[in-house]
Amino acid sequence: MKPTTDLEVPAGLPPEVAQEVGKFLSRRNLLATAGVAAAAGALTMVSYRDEAQAATMSPAAKATTMAKVAKGAKVPAHAWCMVIDLRHCDGCEVCTQSCQQRHGLRDEQTWIKVFGMTDAAGGTFHMPRPCMMCEDAPCMYVCPVGATIRTNEGLVLVDVDACVGSRACMAACPYEARYFNWTDPLPPKRMPMPATPQMPVPQKGTVGKCVFCADRLPQGELPACVAGCPMGVLYIGDLVTDIAVNGPGNTVVLSEFLRDNDAVRYKEELGTNPRVYYILGHGQNLGGVA
Amino acid sequence: MTTQALTTQAMKTLAVTAEATSTSARAASLGPFGKPSRLWWLTILALSLVVLTGIGAWVVQLRGGMGVAGYSDQAFWAIYIADVVTFIGVSYGGAVVSAILRLTGATWRAPLTRLAEGTAVVTVLIGAALIIPHIGNPIRLYELVTRPNLSAPVFWDFVAVMTYTFGSIVFFALPLVPDMAILHKGHKEALGSRRVTLYARVSRGWVGAPAQRRVLAGALGLVSIMIIPLAVSVHSVLAWAFATTSRPWWHESIWAPQFVVAALYSGVALVILVIAGFRRGYHLEALIHPRHFVRLGFILATLSATYIYLTFADLLPGSYVADRGTAAMFTELLVGRLAIWFWLFAVVGGLLPLLLVALPWTRNVWGMVIAAILVVPMMWLKRILMVVGPATYDTMTGIFGRYHFTWVPVAITLAATAAIPLLLMLLFRVVPLLSIDEIEEIEQMQEVNDLERNAARRRQTGSGESGADDDRLVGAKGKAHRVAGATGVLALVALMGLLAVGSAHPAQAATPHSGGTTSAPAVTITGIEAGGLMQLTATLTSPHGKPLPNAQVAFLFSTTEFGAQARFVPLGSATTDKAGIARLTLGGDADHLYQPTAKGPQQFVATYTAPGAQPVTASTTVTVTAARSAYTPAPAKPLASIGNVLVIALFSIVAAIWLTLGTQIWRVRRVCQS
Repeated sequence: MKPTTDLEVPAGLPPEVAQEVGKFLSRRNLLATAGVAAAAGALTMVSYRDEAQAATMSPAAKATTMAKVAKGAKVPAHAWCMVIDLRHCDGCEVCTQSCQQRHGLRDEQTWIKVFGMTDAAGGTFHMPRPCMMCEDAPCMYVCPVGATIRTNEGLVLVDVDACVGSRACMAACPYEARYFNWTDPLPPKRMPMPATPQMPVPQKGTVGKCVFCADRLPQGELPACVAGCPMGVLYIGDLVTDIAVNGPGNTVVLSEFLRDNDAVRYKEELGTNPRVYYILGHGQNLGGVA
Repeated sequence: MTTQALTTQAMKTLAVTAEATSTSARAASLGPFGKPSRLWWLTILALSLVVLTGIGAWVVQLRGGMGVAGYSDQAFWAIYIADVVTFIGVSYGGAVVSAILRLTGATWRAPLTRLAEGTAVVTVLIGAALIIPHIGNPIRLYELVTRPNLSAPVFWDFVAVMTYTFGSIVFFALPLVPDMAILHKGHKEALGSRRVTLYARVSRGWVGAPAQRRVLAGALGLVSIMIIPLAVSVHSVLAWAFATTSRPWWHESIWAPQFVVAALYSGVALVILVIAGFRRGYHLEALIHPRHFVRLGFILATLSATYIYLTFADLLPGSYVADRGTAAMFTELLVGRLAIWFWLFAVVGGLLPLLLVALPWTRNVWGMVIAAILVVPMMWLKRILMVVGPATYDTMTGIFGRYHFTWVPVAITLAATAAIPLLLMLLFRVVPLLSIDEIEEIEQMQEVNDLERNAARRRQTGSGESGADDDRLVGAKGKAHRVAGATGVLALVALMGLLAVGSAHPAQAATPHSGGTTSAPAVTITGIEAGGLMQLTATLTSPHGKPLPNAQVAFLFSTTEFGAQARFVPLGSATTDKAGIARLTLGGDADHLYQPTAKGPQQFVATYTAPGAQPVTASTTVTVTAARSAYTPAPAKPLASIGNVLVIALFSIVAAIWLTLGTQIWRVRRVCQS
């Protein structure tokens, strides 16, 4: 659980990534000796980008990693996800309030937002929407300065100390999960601490979003919304260890839970591979809300 | 047919005035260098005030945040990005007038090129500067260089805009060499000491030798070829910043070409306005004729028709298929809240200019200037619709958010608009207003052509000429807040209470109960790994020591992943056989998917609850050797792997462009020195 914003290759990277970087460096040397200095400058950036991509597990790097996984190489220790059991959600919005309290957010900054939905039969239900932590996060690809990063545990985080405030990520997010600090943030209610991608502190002119309370997870604590939900709707899960747990303490085998309850992902058709699973209970119409 | 007739007419007009222009081009270029009139000073003062107000508004926005500009999470992109698109768009007008007309050998361009290129440079610089108020944290813009994300369209926007700016400056600067040489040589007294120094430096070594002319013409030809795809790339990449998102109406393949045509359309309109303004302000009527306006008007009309067509082609397929988001967007645009603005654009910004060019009695300087005055703001309006519409559409709820202008972005937009004439007026205090050398060169060509044509015509017939159009001159002219306090505190108290209850009540209450009641049955558990699968075996005995058949034994495992206090995860249950033994193989069948995910010791629990009794449990710790991760990453996107190749190719192209552009300056410099 280390931030992956460094320009250097993080120490824990799989060896094949180092190999890739090496490949680019050797190509750069080749060109430099050929005297194409300008192109070499560009290649430095290319190889830097490779490092950044590798650090954030881009699809390309992931493919190589998976090739190694097949041969028994190291895999990430966790792959965080969330399961939202809509059968029990009564729309009380305690999740939203717990989150806003913990992260010092304004009322309109709903990192987890409860939408009132209407199903095909005209019935209504409630649908909490945190960050979907997409495996192919559209927001990450469009950030001009790479301030949106993806940890190897699958958390899509924002480095608020790097964010330029282009809001390209807000345009790209199909789930409207990002919120901007349009004005000065609320005065801190607790002792101020330095911002990290895992525990961001709102900063004027930067974007913010749900982080699954990434600072809590390594300690084995539950995210604020999960802990707060009185109905046990929200589960925090780990796809690697195959466990999910909700606030009241119900602990399940994740894969069986998803299968037995016919879990679906929202806007599956966009190919973002979200890591939030919804369990429908009453025939709610989740798909097709483009 | 008409165009052909007009072309011959214009050639005639040019030929007739050929002798006069050569001197008037020089005189006209020197005109702005004299003592400025009171009107000039007043204009500069007024424009500066507008620009300063805009800068003041930007400072207000820096202090208060972008919220003061009317932005909210419902409208995350709005006026500024529309301004960027508009201003960078209009700079394409310079490229079309100079580069395309140069390449097609349209000699009538000569008196317009300098003004058009100057407009291109000035507007692209203003457009690039408008990114600053658009950005929430402009002080960090340097990160585009220090830590770029090479998959981001916005980064490539930056690269494309920078490259195009460099190209425009080279294209603007190269023809200055002969012009400055002419003025430095023949009109030193009219230049003033500072311009003399500048002109001497720029034109050092230029004598107009054939070798020099050949090199300069070659360089300009190459740059004019390059500037066209460069401009196409800028407007395309700007469009892709929108089109690469999954928002309705943005995610359209037609957006890039539509942006390019929009840029050309608004750009030609701005060139008409700039030319009209300078023609009147500096009395260039002898050089810039109504013909020029009509010709630019024809280009404008062609582009207007093309843009109307593209707009229709943009809207038809989405309206026809009408999936939810697109249908909502187009309904809002065509018949909803935005309809009045869209149809205003369609009529005033599309049809009316077309009509003004098409109707013979408005096909004059006034008509063209009015058409241009309509096009420029209407194209800005179209960009506003294109940006604000999809940006305010909530893809979760399908509801449109609101965006309201405040005085801040209005002031900044007006400042950017005022900056165009301001910077142009200042620019043409420094550099000559007309490309003297080009005009004179074309005059020489015209004279030769004209002599030949006149001779030929005299030989054929003495038919009368159709009357030229009259040379009339023209002047260019906000939410309810929730009760957070009390509810928040109550919710927090309730939350803490729930947490306490939750943690005091571990799942399944699987604490081993041993001893105590002797009447309780006993359970034991063992686990072994066999064939890579974990087999759990529980033996259940009655209080009397006999095996207990047909009883449901539940299996669990413990985890400390979510808290130091172990949580127990149910694995399923099995029924005891006659020997009182229940078996469960993890991953053994479709109902039991769990398999150990980490090597090392893992605790398993068996529990049995007799009807109406306390549960009995037993636990065992097995050292797992065959573990597997339950996680399978999503497959990589099919085309993701070509990203690196593409990046290297793009960087090579950009490097080659910069190198080539730089080389052209160096070529011209070298031939001047030899």
